[in-house]
Amino acid sequence: MTTQTKRIAINFGGGYVPGLNAVITGAVLAANEIGWETVGIRDGFDGLLFPERYPDGGLVVLAPPMVENLAGATGCILGTAGQSDPFHVRTINAENQVEEVDRSDELLGLINKERIEAVISVVGTRALSILWKLSRKGLKTVCVPKSAENDIAATMLSFGFNSALSFLADILERCRQAAQSARRIGVVEVLGEHAGWLALQAGTAVCADAVLIPEIPYDLRKVAAKLREKMKAGRMYALVVVAEGAKPLADLNVSRKASDPQMKAALSPGATDNEGFHVIEGSGQVAAEVALEIQRLTDQEATPLVLGQLAKGGTPTVVDRQLGLGYGVGAVRALNDNQSGVMVVFQPPDLKFVPMTEAINKVRTVPTDSEFVRIARALDISLGD
Amino acid sequence: MENQSVPSKALTGLVLNIQHFSTHDGPGIRTTVFLKGCSLRCKWCSNPESIHPRPELAYNPVKCIGEKECGFCLKNVCMESAIYALGSVDPAGDKVRINWDLCTNCGKCVPVCPAEALYLFGQGMTVDQVLSEVEQDTTFYRESGGGITVSGGECLLQADFVAALLAESHRRGIKTAIETAGNVAWANMERVLPHVDTVLHDHKLTDPERHKKWCGADNTRILVNFKKAYETFPEKKFIARTPLIPGVNDDEEHIGAVLAFIRPYKNVIDYELLPYHRFGESKYGFLGRLYEMMDFTSPCPKILKRLRAIIDDAFGRRSPLSQE
Repeated sequence: MTTQTKRIAINFGGGYVPGLNAVITGAVLAANEIGWETVGIRDGFDGLLFPERYPDGGLVVLAPPMVENLAGATGCILGTAGQSDPFHVRTINAENQVEEVDRSDELLGLINKERIEAVISVVGTRALSILWKLSRKGLKTVCVPKSAENDIAATMLSFGFNSALSFLADILERCRQAAQSARRIGVVEVLGEHAGWLALQAGTAVCADAVLIPEIPYDLRKVAAKLREKMKAGRMYALVVVAEGAKPLADLNVSRKASDPQMKAALSPGATDNEGFHVIEGSGQVAAEVALEIQRLTDQEATPLVLGQLAKGGTPTVVDRQLGLGYGVGAVRALNDNQSGVMVVFQPPDLKFVPMTEAINKVRTVPTDSEFVRIARALDISLGD
Repeated sequence: MENQSVPSKALTGLVLNIQHFSTHDGPGIRTTVFLKGCSLRCKWCSNPESIHPRPELAYNPVKCIGEKECGFCLKNVCMESAIYALGSVDPAGDKVRINWDLCTNCGKCVPVCPAEALYLFGQGMTVDQVLSEVEQDTTFYRESGGGITVSGGECLLQADFVAALLAESHRRGIKTAIETAGNVAWANMERVLPHVDTVLHDHKLTDPERHKKWCGADNTRILVNFKKAYETFPEKKFIARTPLIPGVNDDEEHIGAVLAFIRPYKNVIDYELLPYHRFGESKYGFLGRLYEMMDFTSPCPKILKRLRAIIDDAFGRRSPLSQE
């Protein structure tokens, strides 16, 4: 009797961060060591759900020679999923009407049909919830955390973060030099909707004058007071780093009220506009708001710059290569231990496995009494409080 | 044609909102009834809460009292674990958060929220319920020549309800209009149009492939429907409209193609350009979901003026350009 080789798959949810290829390398080489075959699913689960889009096949057999020199390469040879979600797949029905349909059952059938016994999925916070729903429906899966913001709970370090941090430190250094030359205040917005790790660590690395993070609501009067002190001493420039999720201490907009009678329980944005019933968030606006206010408070020209998604590009640093490789190896180890529904996490010095639920509905934020915060304060960096 | 059978007044429609004193949705001052559910996915959509044809949970964190003071929604209300709080580590205080990927829009959390921070977009309403709201504005209709406008989403997806609503509006002496993109079965259009005085209808893009790219589906059926509507209902007023999106359809080629399509029909009385304004609003926090919204700026005033002059010329009006 012959037994078929065990076949596992790897795919990527969400968007790009540096180090994705390293996970592929780690998983494929580790799986090969124990005699398993690894296939890659293109663009999240699209390779299975939309085979017509892939003339060369939506699945790619990943042999060790293909991946052994891949760990340091930029990009992702399998593509990423963007916002795609097998529970809400946009389609055009027979009536030419656009609708979103649940294709999760069909996806599980396709995975089965392709003899894929388990899926290693590289996920951010959103893809994690989607993967968990698939796991509850019976998909055998192990996931690996990726996040440029390092905001995934249960792991100390998501891969992608270190590359983003290195890039930002480099760019912030240049921003400060530019601000110094122009004798201006540079206000640079970086990623971090819920967690300020990037702003805090990159800002600290370049000894910025102020760092504003979501965890510490800011009062720009305090920031401005500090900047004015420095200006009095003849230092006519400054660098302020702002995470996109940073919020002022007292939000003046909070007083907006929506007096909605029963009929108006549902409001259209077009109908409300200035009423403020709903919240429209938008990244890329914090830097402009902060720069304007600081200019008003210091009478020094302030220039906003939004780095945003740029931090997610580029080649992985050595740390992210190692992490990616390690996470790939860890995921195969988890499957070999017959685990499912778990996430590989880095809790130094070990790789561990925790249930996915340990990271769902949680955010790894900066504790306000953490050593990082204390170091920043000791360096005379204003945190806006 | 209006004497054909009218569905029961007890029919229920999925209504998103009723907006009073609207001045852009037809002649005079109007009351606009927004229905929920759309058959297109235009990337510039300014009403994303009108897209899906079912009630959807919305959350206004400003109203949330917080986990410590309230927290009712966290106590085994959501079977999907879609509501959570981060406790003291949350910079937003202890307000709850929604995991939109786990939420099934069941609405079970809505009644337990005393602050009405959790609510549903879209509610079933009967013809009488809608009209009792609409009739509050009757005085303004008389003064201004306005009336009721049914919009969306795509209002013609709920054809039976809209036909009943507009037939009853007529019976009560209220003038009627609809806003439609036309991407529905002809039977739906045929069902509703007898009860409509003014048909505001969109020509978003002329090329079918480009229409599919920007709006989610091609416009082949839309054009067939509108042509048939112009021919079948010569007594109705049709006003063609284009939401003008810079870099998408603010070009003479599109405007010219629409004019060529509508000008043979005398009942298409005007063609309006709707310049849109949206700046950086790429996320709609209240629904939590990420929509494929594009950010765009207002159309260039010069281009807008030139395109409007082309339309004025086609309709035989003196255009500002020809006066210059």
